[in-house]
Amino acid sequence: MTEVLDQDEKNLIVRGFTSMVLGRYFDKKIITAQRQGLVGFYTPMMGQEATQAGAAMALSKDDNVYGYYRDVTMLIYLGHPIEKIFDQIMGNAEDSAKGRQMPSHYSAKEINFMSVPSPVATNLPLAVGAAYAKKYRKQDGIVITTFGDGGTSTPDFHAAMNFAAVFDLPVVFLCENNGWAISLPVEKQTKAEIYKKAEAYGMKGVYVDGNDFIKTYRTVKEAVEYARSGNPILVEARSYRMGPHSTSDDPSKYRKNEVQENSDLDPLVIAEKLMISGGYLNQAEIDKIKDESKKMIDEKFEERLKIPAPAPETMFDDVYSEMTWAIEEERGDILRR
Amino acid sequence: MNMVQALNSAMDLKMSEDDSVIILGEDVGRDGGVFRVTDGLQAKYGPQRVIDTPLSELGIVGMAIGMAVNGLKPIPEIQFQDFIYTAMDQIINQMAKIRYRSGGDYTVPLVLRTPVGGGIKGGLYHSQSGEAYFAHTAGLTVVSPSNPYDAKGLLISAIESPDPVIFLEPKRLYRSQKAEVPDEKYSVPLRKASVLKQGNDVTMITYGSMVPTVMSVASKSKYDVEVIDLRTIAPMDRDTIISSVKKTGRVVIVHEAPRTLGVGAEISAMISERAIEYLYAPILRVTGPDTPFPYRLEDYYLPNEARINAALDRVMAFR
Repeated sequence: MTEVLDQDEKNLIVRGFTSMVLGRYFDKKIITAQRQGLVGFYTPMMGQEATQAGAAMALSKDDNVYGYYRDVTMLIYLGHPIEKIFDQIMGNAEDSAKGRQMPSHYSAKEINFMSVPSPVATNLPLAVGAAYAKKYRKQDGIVITTFGDGGTSTPDFHAAMNFAAVFDLPVVFLCENNGWAISLPVEKQTKAEIYKKAEAYGMKGVYVDGNDFIKTYRTVKEAVEYARSGNPILVEARSYRMGPHSTSDDPSKYRKNEVQENSDLDPLVIAEKLMISGGYLNQAEIDKIKDESKKMIDEKFEERLKIPAPAPETMFDDVYSEMTWAIEEERGDILRR
Repeated sequence: MNMVQALNSAMDLKMSEDDSVIILGEDVGRDGGVFRVTDGLQAKYGPQRVIDTPLSELGIVGMAIGMAVNGLKPIPEIQFQDFIYTAMDQIINQMAKIRYRSGGDYTVPLVLRTPVGGGIKGGLYHSQSGEAYFAHTAGLTVVSPSNPYDAKGLLISAIESPDPVIFLEPKRLYRSQKAEVPDEKYSVPLRKASVLKQGNDVTMITYGSMVPTVMSVASKSKYDVEVIDLRTIAPMDRDTIISSVKKTGRVVIVHEAPRTLGVGAEISAMISERAIEYLYAPILRVTGPDTPFPYRLEDYYLPNEARINAALDRVMAFR
C-alpha cells in the first residue's frame, strides 16, 4: 500500500470488516434456526457482505437508504442493533413493525432505512421522491437505493432512473449484482452490462468488484460525492449469491455452486487477506473479532427468542391514522372469546 | 364556480398556506392539466412545486409516495383513471401498506387525483370507473365529489388527511354545473355521506357522476325519495346509510361502474347484515353493465332516468 492511511480510515475499514463478520454469522445463525423451525423464512445475504459493508461505509447519517431484503450487513454497519434485526425476523412483540412482515423485510427509521416491500425494485421510485424532498428542502445528504440484478428488468427501475436523471436528483442506484434472480442467471436477465444501462438515461454508470469491500467503499464514496451535487449515478457491484434465494429455494435444481464458503472467492476470505496485507489487523485480531461476533450473535439470538408474539389486537392497528368502524367490528368478531 | 375551478381553488389555498404541498403529473404545469384543473398554479408557485413529469404513471405515483414519506404533501395527478394500472403495484403494495408494514413509523399523506367516468365520448380508455379496485384495498381512502362545493371542501380535507386518498373526479361533472363556492378555505369531512334529499318511501344511494341524475329523478318522482351521496366511498359512512334504510325500508343503489363486485354489492351486503328486518323489498342496483365501456353507445351504458325509475317502481311494488 503506497497511500498513507489516517487513523479514521483505518477505524472505518476495521468497522466495515467487523460488520461483514457479523453479517456472515447472522446469516448462518438464521439459516440454521430456520431448519430447526425456530424462524419461518429468510433470504440469505451470504456472498454480498463486501458489497454491503463497502457501500454502507460510504454513507453518512444524513443519507437515506431505500434498501432491499438482503441488506443485513448494511443494516449492521449502519448501526441498526442486531437485536432489532432478530426481532424483525422473529416477528416478535419488540419488532417495530409488530410482526406484520415476513422475515427479511426490514424497517429502521432511526438510521433512515426505509421499510422494505417484497415486490422487487419497487422502492426505487420512492427513493427518487425522497431525493426530490431532500433537494426541495435543501437538506444535506443523498439517497441510496439497492436492488439485485433481477430488479433491473422491472418498470420501476426504468421509471426511477429516468425520473432521477430528468430532475437532477441526488440518488445512488446500487445494483447488488449477485449473479442470480432465484434460478435465472444474470446473463439471461439482460443482454447488456448493467452499469452501462445508465448511459441510456443520460446518467453516469460505474462498475466495481463487489467482492472487495475496500474497492466498493471507494467507488460508492465517489458516487455519493458525485450524487451530492444533483447527479444521479448507477453503481454495479458484482458479487455472488452463495446461498439459496431464500430458505424455501433449492439451488441444486438450477446451478452448481461456483463459490464455496472459505474458498478464495468468498468475500470474507478476500476481506481477511485485505486486512492483513493492508496492515489493518493481524490474524490474532481477526480471530478475536470472529469469536466475539459469533458469541454475540448466539447470545442475542437466544435472548430475542424469548420475546413473545405481538398481542393479537395489534394486527388491527396502523391501517389508517384512525381505525374504521369495519376494522373495529372485525377486531371484535375475531378476538371475541 | 364549476368543479374544475373549485378543485383549483382548493389546491391554490393549500399551496399558499403550506409549502410542503406539491403537484406532479403529466402536463399539469405549463399546460395546466388536460382538464385545466391545475391551470395557473405553476405560474404562481413555480416548476419546483407544480412539476411536469415524464410519461410514467408508476413513476409519478412512486415518486409521490417517496415525497410523502419524507415530509412533503404531494398531489399526484393521473391524467385519466384508465391509465393508472401501471401504478397499481405502487398504489396497492406501497401507498396503502407503508403505515401498516412499518408499524406506523412511515406514513403516506398524499392525494392522488384522477378523472373518472364516461359521458364525454371517451371510449374504453377514457371512461372507466375503477373505484372498486381502490375501495377493496385496506389503507386507502376513496373519495368522489358530486358538486363543486363538495369538491373543494373534500379536496382540502384530503390534503390535510394523514392517510393516502384516492380522489376520483367525475369528469363529465367538471363543467356541467355551477354552484356557490366560497373563495376562502373550508372543509367537507371525509368518511361522511350527505343526505341530499329527505324522503320516507325509498333510499337511493349513489355518489360521484350519478348524483345529478339521481337528484333529477328524485325531484320528479311520484315517490318520496331520500337521496344519499356517499362522498367518501371507502371507508363508507355506515350510520347514515343504515339509519335511512331503517326509516324507508327500500333501497336502490345507483353507480356508473359495472355491477359485479362493485361498490353497490358492498352496500347491499352491509344493509343485509344490519337491517334486513327493516326491508320491504329486495335491494336493487342500477349500474353500468358488465362490459367494457363502449364509445358510440355510451348513452346505453350509463344509467339513465328511465332505468332508475323502473327500479323505483319495482321496489315500491312490494307492500
